[in-house]
Amino acid sequence: MFRLAKMVYVVLLFTLLVAAMPASAKAGGYGIGTPATSDEIAGWDIDIRPDGKGLPPGSGSVEDGEMMYEQKCASCHGSFGEGVGRYPVLAGGEGTLTDERPEKTVGSYWPYASTLWDYIHRAMPFTQPQSMTDDEVYAITAYVLYLNDLVEDDFVLTADNLASVEMPNQDGFFFDDRPDTSNTACMKDCKDPASVKITSEPAIATLQEEEQEVEVEQVAEGGEKVYQQACMMCHGGGVAGSPMTGDMAAWAARIAQGRDKLVSNAIVGIGVMPPKGGQSQLSDEEVASAVDYMIQQATQD
Amino acid sequence: MFSKPGSGPAVLRKVTQEASKVDPAKRRDFLKKGLMVAGGAIAGTQFASTLHASQNNLPPNLPEWSKSLGAGVITNPYGQPSAFEGGIVRRTVPWLTADRIAAISFTPLAELDGIITPSGLVFERYHAGVPTINPDEYRLMIHGLVENPLVFTIDDLRRFPSTTAINFLECPANGGMEWRAAQMDALQFTHGMISCCEWTGVLLSTLLEEVGVKPEGKWVLAEGSDGSHMSRSIPMEKALDDTLIVYAQNGEPLRPEQGYPVRIFNPGWEGNTSVKWLRRLEVGDKPWYHREETSKYTDLLADGRARKFSYVQEGNSVVTFPCPEKPLKQKGRYELEGLAWSGNGKIKHVDVSFDGGVNWKRARLKGLVLPKALTRFSLDFTWDGSPALIQSRSTDESGYVQPTFTQLREARGNSSIYHKNAIHTWRLHADGTVTNVQIS
Repeated sequence: MFRLAKMVYVVLLFTLLVAAMPASAKAGGYGIGTPATSDEIAGWDIDIRPDGKGLPPGSGSVEDGEMMYEQKCASCHGSFGEGVGRYPVLAGGEGTLTDERPEKTVGSYWPYASTLWDYIHRAMPFTQPQSMTDDEVYAITAYVLYLNDLVEDDFVLTADNLASVEMPNQDGFFFDDRPDTSNTACMKDCKDPASVKITSEPAIATLQEEEQEVEVEQVAEGGEKVYQQACMMCHGGGVAGSPMTGDMAAWAARIAQGRDKLVSNAIVGIGVMPPKGGQSQLSDEEVASAVDYMIQQATQD
Repeated sequence: MFSKPGSGPAVLRKVTQEASKVDPAKRRDFLKKGLMVAGGAIAGTQFASTLHASQNNLPPNLPEWSKSLGAGVITNPYGQPSAFEGGIVRRTVPWLTADRIAAISFTPLAELDGIITPSGLVFERYHAGVPTINPDEYRLMIHGLVENPLVFTIDDLRRFPSTTAINFLECPANGGMEWRAAQMDALQFTHGMISCCEWTGVLLSTLLEEVGVKPEGKWVLAEGSDGSHMSRSIPMEKALDDTLIVYAQNGEPLRPEQGYPVRIFNPGWEGNTSVKWLRRLEVGDKPWYHREETSKYTDLLADGRARKFSYVQEGNSVVTFPCPEKPLKQKGRYELEGLAWSGNGKIKHVDVSFDGGVNWKRARLKGLVLPKALTRFSLDFTWDGSPALIQSRSTDESGYVQPTFTQLREARGNSSIYHKNAIHTWRLHADGTVTNVQIS
């Protein structure tokens, strides 16, 4: 009698436990997470593969790409893909991979054209990622391929022909095969002491230089700090047709439009300059303070 | 040329103002020391005490702070380092990158003890700056060759069983500036693209089991949600091994600089694969060959071919004391210290040479010796004032011995940029200063 009651109890408990498990538990069994809808996936699934998988429908010509490139890319990458300052060089460098200073560009190094489309679409222009239409990406990709002499000037890039663009260095890569060195943990008389020679030392004393520069350090605050964060990248060098900081001639006509106009241009964007220089987290007041700083730089003696 | 110590503009201005009141002869020293404490808001009067260590506070006298009250609780609701340690900061090398948005900063290794890097000193590497992400608006999507594509919130991720591990995080370009010749005269710049933290999150294998990977799924694409949408292809073997989806670092939520609210973390692998601000994982049957695994993060060899998917950070080590930032100030007894690490497992032993690699002594490993983590080593020595060429050489549990620079260059040439893990040499001069050299 007592035994039977216990059995019933156990069965009941087991039933309760099973009932308590989430109904949605499948595969891994935790039943955590929400199904991803096809719309949600479509919105985020942007990756492109060498075989062209992932490319959206569309097309763009070298001819169309030239103008867009000049407008959206040349300020950093140079009109011929030669690179401005430390920004990446996109073209040239063929046959330099074994040189002392190899020039690794789209044409000389990149194995697949798909990478170019994927990256331009994913991350460019630097200050306004994913702001371009698919056709614009096709056109600019076509133009960069043209800058590298990989396609003719009448070429039109499409979802169907991108995978067939042959890149010169496609076979230049191999899978990781390290370790490629085999040192031994020798402990005594491992080499001839006379063979130990200093082969190189830094040309400049890093730490001393740092200390010397500390004395002339001007500390950025307010508008100058915002300027350094959001504006200097372009205005510091006058790239993309922007008025260079401190260039009185370039700023005079703009200042004549009045401060409010300049502030509003900076907030909403003008020409190739994105709103707030691409730093959307800045408040309007912070942007205005940077404008004031640049006006001050252009008007001081 | 290099970024300056100290981070608080107001404090720096104060230093400058105070400096103008000081005897010009002492001004240089003042600025130097003042900047060492900049970074914490401390009053001008307190600066004076840092500049001239007062005899009044030394034995047999009773120090000032023993005769008064200090600040109360939650004066700093989130605690800060001592204001006297304001010089322990990340620094950058401006000429390395075109701007500060897509740039890198370095961990001040010479100033740290133990193996854990404080979260605020972990080196930074951004490709489009640090995004500001509201955790309530955060989603992680897993889709592709899976049975049940799913979207997870932070709360969802935290419901899964969690895993905690102490692992190093290293940029494969660490030391890359030294490939052709010794260039940087500071440990912070020769080796500072590394840190080691306690990471907490859910194993990627757990999430992949939840979505159900189809048999043809062999690769996982990890993608960030910042402006660069950083993307890397990760082989399924790694994804099912120890890859973590991380939401906490050193016991607190991830720092924004480290991918808040969620990053992927691949222990022992090049830092670039540990994509920050993770938004999406796609399972596929082939790698994607995106920009960061073709144009970048491939290792060009002397013959013009390039190694791809060179994920593992092989065995490495460096002496952290003495070093250019930490010279020897007098003769006598010292404990040499250093850090060793390997992406292939635990450090087995570390050897130290004072004569440029002719003779070696076995160092002792201190504290925790963990796989794919920084491991601290040390060796007692007596300095008699002689110049020395100091090196360290690690051996990991796979038997891999850290190579010499000559061996590494013979194998790869000078243009690899990434994965420079050669034995490093510090030149100790007779005056106790230390400089960076390369030797034959």
